[in-house]
Amino acid sequence: MKNKLKYLTAMSLKRKIQTKWFVAANILIALVIICGINIDTIITAFGGDFDKQQPVYIADHTGVAFDSVKTMMNESSKALNTSSKKSSFDIQKTDKNEKEIKEQVDKKDGLGIIIENDKESTLKVTIISKDILDAVDSQLISNAINQTKTSLALADSGISNEQISSIYSSAKIDYEYTKDDVKKGEEGTQMLMQTVFPIVILPFFMLTLFLVQMIGAEVNDEKTTRGMEIIISNVSPKVHFFSKVIAGNLFVLFQGVLLFLYGGLGLLVRNLIGGSDITGGIGSEVGKAMNDILSSSIGSQLAYIIPLTLLLMIITFVAYSLLAGILASMTTNIEDFQQLQTPIVIISLVGYYLAMLANVFGGSLFIKILGMVPFISAILAPSLLVLGQFSILEMLLAIVLCLLTVFALIKYGLRIYKVGILNYSSKDLWKKMFKALKN
Amino acid sequence: MLKVKHVTKYYGDFCAVNDLSFEVASGEIFGLLGVNGAGKTTTFRMIMGLLEPTKGEITLNGKPIDYSVTDTIGFLTEERSLLTKLTVKEQALFYGALKSMTEDQILKRLDELLERFEILDYKDKKIKELSKGNQQKVQFIMAILNDPKLLILDEPFSGLDPFNVELFKKEIIDMSKRGSMIIFSSHRMEHVELFCKKIVIILRGTPVLEGYLSDIKRDYRKKNILIKGDITKKELMKIKGVYDVIEKPEELEVKIDSLEVASNVFKEVSKHKNITKFSVEEPSLNEIFVAKVGEAYEK
Repeated sequence: MKNKLKYLTAMSLKRKIQTKWFVAANILIALVIICGINIDTIITAFGGDFDKQQPVYIADHTGVAFDSVKTMMNESSKALNTSSKKSSFDIQKTDKNEKEIKEQVDKKDGLGIIIENDKESTLKVTIISKDILDAVDSQLISNAINQTKTSLALADSGISNEQISSIYSSAKIDYEYTKDDVKKGEEGTQMLMQTVFPIVILPFFMLTLFLVQMIGAEVNDEKTTRGMEIIISNVSPKVHFFSKVIAGNLFVLFQGVLLFLYGGLGLLVRNLIGGSDITGGIGSEVGKAMNDILSSSIGSQLAYIIPLTLLLMIITFVAYSLLAGILASMTTNIEDFQQLQTPIVIISLVGYYLAMLANVFGGSLFIKILGMVPFISAILAPSLLVLGQFSILEMLLAIVLCLLTVFALIKYGLRIYKVGILNYSSKDLWKKMFKALKN
Repeated sequence: MLKVKHVTKYYGDFCAVNDLSFEVASGEIFGLLGVNGAGKTTTFRMIMGLLEPTKGEITLNGKPIDYSVTDTIGFLTEERSLLTKLTVKEQALFYGALKSMTEDQILKRLDELLERFEILDYKDKKIKELSKGNQQKVQFIMAILNDPKLLILDEPFSGLDPFNVELFKKEIIDMSKRGSMIIFSSHRMEHVELFCKKIVIILRGTPVLEGYLSDIKRDYRKKNILIKGDITKKELMKIKGVYDVIEKPEELEVKIDSLEVASNVFKEVSKHKNITKFSVEEPSLNEIFVAKVGEAYEK
């Protein structure tokens, strides 16, 4: 019987992997991942208006504001353009009057800024544009004007340059922590982890979907072709059930490795075509972020966060495959199963959204309780652990609860599976299943 | 020997099989007959261990049928039980492995059977690409791939043309000669008549007639007389004990209540000069089936 389990498992895997559709799907996934990682290069390669500098004509009637406004607009614009590090403005001083500036703006699709003295608010500014001004540009110009106004006011008040420089420099903020294991200066890293972690575990959804689909489709295929009768007359439903669960999880493992390989390939392509200002950015930033994380105290925490997360995810995959097998055995065709498939996968999506909300509702008891609930916990519990809202003990409790779910699904689900796989009618379905549970 | 002893199966309150018993010895071909929904498939499923009997016992060579003996059993279901996305070869490798056969054994036997059933060219074709008749051939090949000691055939001839029915018949008879126990169900009584030594007719799960076919036919009182000549239906219907006369293209089939009536018919027929045929025949299984099932329905 062991050999038959091995054979059925291999057969299931073969039926899934050795198909042209698996190859086609993976080529598509690989392309999406590689293109996603190199999306800025692709956008740049196609060209467009985004890399052209917009002409800005400043008529400074105050005689002192131009330099400051120009510097601040260029600096802010460079800060926003992380990939190119270039300002998107080509700022020029002009002596033209309002009518001439309007004509120039209209002709060159640029911007006009007229700065005048004002008794009430120091500066009065008129911004001229062809169309409604972009919100980011509007905010950027507004900030530059306001900061110029403050610096002009400070200069008028007789404060020395050193004092002005001191006022503009950032205030010194020092952090002190009462917990012994928290190190100073890692606030940025913590924030990075909170942002990066949910993205890293995002493939979990994809793999869950693959897993549930694979098991559901196979069981239904064998049921609808009545091949199930031949199979079950030769191997026990238990062996058949486990073969599907093992094959499903091996497939997910294989597909997961492939996803990471595609990610790696994407980064490799990025490095190969990199070197320019546009393409060099993200790769080195990821490396820097990784170094920051590993050298921080979170680096040492990862030593238990990663194994515990992987363990919980693997147990959740097993639970999902058991649930998919049980539900597939109850349904009589693939269409019925597809209707069930969506809500069960969405359960883990709930975990993802709660992980996002955990940042906002820090210490929420409700989120903590849901972090223990199997299927939801796969994403929520590790996120809470990273956020420091879950202790290792609570994480272990989530794992134990998931394990108990797996045992319950095997013990009671197998009873349903035995009856379900040879049931071809949806009449009195729930009655039959409850009866199977009692037996 | 396969023994089905007082087997009863209930689905909730519904009795699918009621106190069914029969035995099939090595080399015997046994017919399980009944109208649709009579309980034939349920009986086959219980023999295969797919369903647990509510009462009774099923044994093969004195032992209950479990997964330790299923490697020696072949099963052909009424509906297609092939994974249609696989090729014939892949399907054989799959089902053969489930029967604990090695790859070499499977491929050797598959080639032999595909050649015998004249579909060797379809070995690497997907099952869904084959015609209904060829799919039935493949399904039959899968059932006998392991050269089973017990072969269960649920409506094996469905979708087959007369030429292929002959191929199947030959194989079934050869297997029986090699000592296999064969049980099969069919709506085609002429097939059952040709193969089976023993039969059981079940109606709504309850056996209504069982035993050796020769005994059943002998014990069945009603007989048929085939007459060829210038006698008319009207004249024959006047004879006491004649309950029906069927006009066939070249002869008349006279249905009589018992063998004793035959002499009365003969006396009447003798009065005519141009009689070229007078033959007393056993009733066909189809007649017995219809009569027995009809009687049981009336009860």
